[in-house]
Amino acid sequence: MTSAVTPRALPLRRRLLWHCRNNPKRELWLAWGTLVVFYNVFFPVFFVVTRVQPPPQPAWDLATQIQWFHERHLGIPLGFGIIFAIAGMTAVNNALIAYSMRRMSVSRAFGYSYLLIYSLSAVPGLLLLCIALIVGTLRPQRDPRLIGWLYDFAFLSFDGTMGVFLIGSLIWMLAILLDKNRVFPKWFGYLNLCNALTEVVVSPCWIFRRGVLAWNGQIAWWLDMVVFGVYTVAFIVMLFRMIQREDFGTGPLPARVA
Amino acid sequence: MRAGGRTVGEAGGDAPFVPGQPDMWAFVLFETLVFTGYFGFYLFYRARSPALFLHAQSQLDVRIGVVNTLVLLLSSWSVARCVQSSRAGASRAALRDVAVTVFFAVIFLGCKVAEWSRLVRAGHGPDSDDFFTYYFFLTGIHFVHLLIGFVALGVIVYRLRGAEARSPESQELVETCATYWHTVDFLWVLIFALLYVIR
Amino acid sequence: MNPSGRLLVTWLALASLTLAYLWIDHSRPRASAAVTVGVIVIALVKVRIIFREFMEVRRAPALLRRLTDVWMLILAASLLGCYFAGLAIR
Repeated sequence: MTSAVTPRALPLRRRLLWHCRNNPKRELWLAWGTLVVFYNVFFPVFFVVTRVQPPPQPAWDLATQIQWFHERHLGIPLGFGIIFAIAGMTAVNNALIAYSMRRMSVSRAFGYSYLLIYSLSAVPGLLLLCIALIVGTLRPQRDPRLIGWLYDFAFLSFDGTMGVFLIGSLIWMLAILLDKNRVFPKWFGYLNLCNALTEVVVSPCWIFRRGVLAWNGQIAWWLDMVVFGVYTVAFIVMLFRMIQREDFGTGPLPARVA
Repeated sequence: MRAGGRTVGEAGGDAPFVPGQPDMWAFVLFETLVFTGYFGFYLFYRARSPALFLHAQSQLDVRIGVVNTLVLLLSSWSVARCVQSSRAGASRAALRDVAVTVFFAVIFLGCKVAEWSRLVRAGHGPDSDDFFTYYFFLTGIHFVHLLIGFVALGVIVYRLRGAEARSPESQELVETCATYWHTVDFLWVLIFALLYVIR
Repeated sequence: MNPSGRLLVTWLALASLTLAYLWIDHSRPRASAAVTVGVIVIALVKVRIIFREFMEVRRAPALLRRLTDVWMLILAASLLGCYFAGLAIR
């Protein structure tokens, strides 16, 4: 629409400024950028700063668990402090995904229910682990049994409550498969199903304290992380393409424009 | 390579075509990789404790597994017939074929549930030993795929009974759902071999 | 052969391969790499038949035919590889 006025000849800084002021998709790009920033902070915080992922073993004795907390007595408060500060970004992420469902030909109920579910699921799926582990590191001289309780509570709430994300994935999948506006290719809908199925696979971690299905097991965690990684990259790319193609209409989304 | 737009007729020499949506094929190949991961872990750990796994495995009855496999293969056969019938425009025959598929699937379901209850009551639940952890995990996740298969069969029925039963889009959907069903079948073929038969 | 006849023959072939498993001696369980490899190979043959006949890959474009064959190889390599790796690392 406004491409005729796009100042291609101007230097980069002026062009960026122009886009920030005039590009009709700037809110969408801002949301997408927030998504990318969130995951680029999330993974390093969990894997490097706090080192709570890959998860430790459920079968450890109390002394080893306390040692685990002690090794992370700085990393955990620092890292999760950052997480609490940026946790609100998940609202923007979910809004962008719900927006994609609004653009589809399916009922708006899909987008709204996704928003509701994912807003609530951040509590067991993310925040409880952060709070429990920070509490665990606060007073090293706490009763070991209480530390053990926090340890179990944190990891069971994080890995064991994957089910709350399951329905959200299925909602997005259904919306994509029913959609006539071709917002996403069908294979991406099926990938949501794959993601939902891996969430089913994690749920046995409630029962097993060792082996491949424990919360740190090769199937329940490692294989699932691979699928989740593929899924995360896929949806970030898919949302990017959607915003590129967006024409703010109500009909089928045009195919990729240069 | 698009699937739609083919005319009826099974004469040899048809141009090559992708049965169903290529997207479903992407899903099939991806899920196969995921299951290969599961199977790989199972085989690795089994090879490391053969005695334990053998002893636990002897609680399974291979004949029940064979019956299960034959039933599921029959369901694959009938859904393949359904695809052919619908391709030839014979919606009534296709509906009958998909009904037969559902019938075999329900038999499989019933057998599985009966077998699980027998094992659990005999004390061989998922947490009894490593072999049964894998057994219940693999048959369980397969069971979930089977339940989703019922949804796929439901889509076939819905399309065949709809007003546009003979359109290319309907045919593509029927083939897509059939492709999913065959995946459930061949995954079971592998699971059966790995859980019931290998030594 | 007409298409539905072909499907029936396919099922009969798959059923025979399934019943062939009953020939393995199930009375005295004994770990055997030879049996395991044989069983896995037969299972993969069955999967390929399902791909080719039931899933109609036989009449698909070359890309899909080659892709499914590559997948069979990946399956074979992974299953047998993991099994022998487990045997080796004890």
